Amino acid sequence: MIQVFFFIFVALLGIYLFSRAFQLELSLSHFRSRAGFGLSHTFLVDYTSNDSRWVAYFTGVVNTIRVCLVAIFLTTILGTIMGVARLSKNFLTSRIAWTYVEVLRNTPLLIQIIFWQIVFLQLPQISEAITFGNTTAISNRGILLPWISDNGGAQIWFIFLGIVAAGSLYLSYFLNKREDESGKYFSISGKKINGNLTGIIFFILVTVVTFFAFGRPVSIDIPEIIQNNKGTWMQSGGFDLSPEFAAILFALVIYTGTFITEIVRGSIQSLSRGQTEAAEAIGLSKYQAMTLVILPQALRSIIPPLTNQFLNLTKNSSLAVVIAYPDLFMVSRTIMNNSGHALPVFFLILLTYLFLSLCISLVMNLINRRVTRIGT
Amino acid sequence: MTTPKINFKEIKDWTIDNFFGSKLGILLTLFSTILIVYFITAIFSFLSAAEWEVVSINKRLLLLGRLPEEDTWRAWPIFWLFCFIFCSSIGAWGNPKKRELLLLLLAFLMPTAIFFSMTYIVHIFMTIIIGSVSYLGSKIIRKTTYSRVLKKSLISLWILLIPLAFSILIIGGGPQSNLWGGFLLNILLASVAVVAGFPLGILMAVGRSTKLPVIKTTCTVYIETVRGAPLVAWLLLAWFVLPKFLPNLFGLNEISVVIRAMIVLSFFASAYIAEVIRGGLQSIPSGQLEAADALNLGYVDKMRIIVLPQAIRVVIPAIVSQFIGLFKDTSLVFILALTDLLQVGRIIPEQDPKFFGKQIEALLVVASLFWVVSVVLSNLSSRIEKNLGIGTR
Repeated sequence: MIQVFFFIFVALLGIYLFSRAFQLELSLSHFRSRAGFGLSHTFLVDYTSNDSRWVAYFTGVVNTIRVCLVAIFLTTILGTIMGVARLSKNFLTSRIAWTYVEVLRNTPLLIQIIFWQIVFLQLPQISEAITFGNTTAISNRGILLPWISDNGGAQIWFIFLGIVAAGSLYLSYFLNKREDESGKYFSISGKKINGNLTGIIFFILVTVVTFFAFGRPVSIDIPEIIQNNKGTWMQSGGFDLSPEFAAILFALVIYTGTFITEIVRGSIQSLSRGQTEAAEAIGLSKYQAMTLVILPQALRSIIPPLTNQFLNLTKNSSLAVVIAYPDLFMVSRTIMNNSGHALPVFFLILLTYLFLSLCISLVMNLINRRVTRIGT
Repeated sequence: MTTPKINFKEIKDWTIDNFFGSKLGILLTLFSTILIVYFITAIFSFLSAAEWEVVSINKRLLLLGRLPEEDTWRAWPIFWLFCFIFCSSIGAWGNPKKRELLLLLLAFLMPTAIFFSMTYIVHIFMTIIIGSVSYLGSKIIRKTTYSRVLKKSLISLWILLIPLAFSILIIGGGPQSNLWGGFLLNILLASVAVVAGFPLGILMAVGRSTKLPVIKTTCTVYIETVRGAPLVAWLLLAWFVLPKFLPNLFGLNEISVVIRAMIVLSFFASAYIAEVIRGGLQSIPSGQLEAADALNLGYVDKMRIIVLPQAIRVVIPAIVSQFIGLFKDTSLVFILALTDLLQVGRIIPEQDPKFFGKQIEALLVVASLFWVVSVVLSNLSSRIEKNLGIGTR
């Protein structure tokens, strides 16, 4: 009975909203027209302002994925280190982690993004760039890092290396399993070489051999800062970490890191103290106790809330709009402003974020399944 | 952490144990010391070069935005009312620890030090008097038989706080809502969002945990859709299309941007609060539900009398942290071109060439205001958690 009333209510509301919505332009056909605006960051996509709005949108999506992937990777490392440091017996170390969490968790992310942008823009001008032995140059046009450059055939080599990496992972898995089951292992002059080490050695060997076999497909590209004959300073080569990208990356990593710190700390504390004592009792070093006993167990309760933080990070990356980093949100806002049709673009944003969230959840669920299976 | 007594051997042991226990310990101490020294020198070198004139000239703009001069008085009664309820609550419920009192003192002194001006010395004095009198008063009443009445009236005052604040702001031809700004706007937006989002959140949470398929699906779709997109996207939607979806009555389709932001924030808050409350609902042992069934209570009564009071009690700390998150997120209204605290802090160094390059000073003041409120609230939430005895049972 209640359901019927409720259904009627929802249906009426829905009809009202739809009738309003259909007075607006709902198709995405205008996405095929020329975009007409330039983007400062085009990563992996050759975008010019003459391309269609779809290409512009796609560039934005790629930019979002790029910043999110790097940020998720770095923030996990930062959060884990800080979470362990927070529980350190060393008074100074645990205070540093405590201050980090208390100060940065309680200030809005937006302020942090703007702060980092100001910091990066206040770096010295390019003519007075800070250099570290000609490998890295830091100026207010961005941070130039050494990078690899393609000498032809790099792509094929990378694909080949991917296959080799998978192969060596399988090799070490196989050798470990064999050692567990039959107790056999390789040894060189009486020293034991376990499966993991064999895998790594195999990978390095194949990499070095194929590097020459493919005719040196990549070389290291060292950035240069030069003054051309008109007196303008130019930067060339290397990997350019632009101020905007660096600002949004730093802010996301540091802000999300505080939450991950708390998650890691809570999970470690929820383990019984006996685990640490048992690890000490069998003579493991502190580092071994942490990596072999504590963290693997803590991971089980870390992963679900960690997934949530990754989703938050992805959504928070839309704040890049404030410093004009062309992520998917900023590109769509520009399209909304130019075309005047906001609603369909909004649904596109919604679907894209939903898709990204689903991808993250899927990967994290796979990891979670693997982690919870260990030892059961 | 063990606090060493004045005993030389213990101090020595503690120091060795803490800092030089092992190779790793020495390494950590060394590394931490370098880090701390680096940060302290960086902070000092910044502070010695900093000039705070950019803030001291624009105090009013930061706190109240473009609120007209003749309406400034309205901010004070709101502040006093809040101060009265807050301090009475401290007296009525908690025996605050020294640390918490120190934090509150810091929370009061820091903004006062930043925004002090001789014009308002009487007002600040009034605030101190109101705060201490209400604290002491409620502490005395607490020991008498009226303590239950006091607590109940304080709870209703907390609920009435937002309507009262609005009536003070609007009464007798107050300023237009598009003139609200600064820190006042941040606080108003966050409070309205939580107060309005709370009932809707409860409904959605109950709806999502029923077995009725239509209601369940609708609530789930609502919650997941709202949580699916970032807040800036929703705010942008409100900017572009919200007026077109409102009926053409009473000038509803020309509502000001501030009200639009409030609507969006309320819906946004409701979805997150619903998820928090749903967690609380799931924590209710099934024996409670069975007991309610055994008493032959209807569904509405069962929820109203048995389940919801227990569920909400459990999730109050989580709701406070939602409020903190929302409070920090109110800075996103920059996308609607509203001049909230952060926006003012960004604009003022650009307006005057005299203040060019002083962005960090302005930004730090803005950040410290957000920080103080968030830290006080998060301490409050852990306090409530202790008082309710959650997690200790």
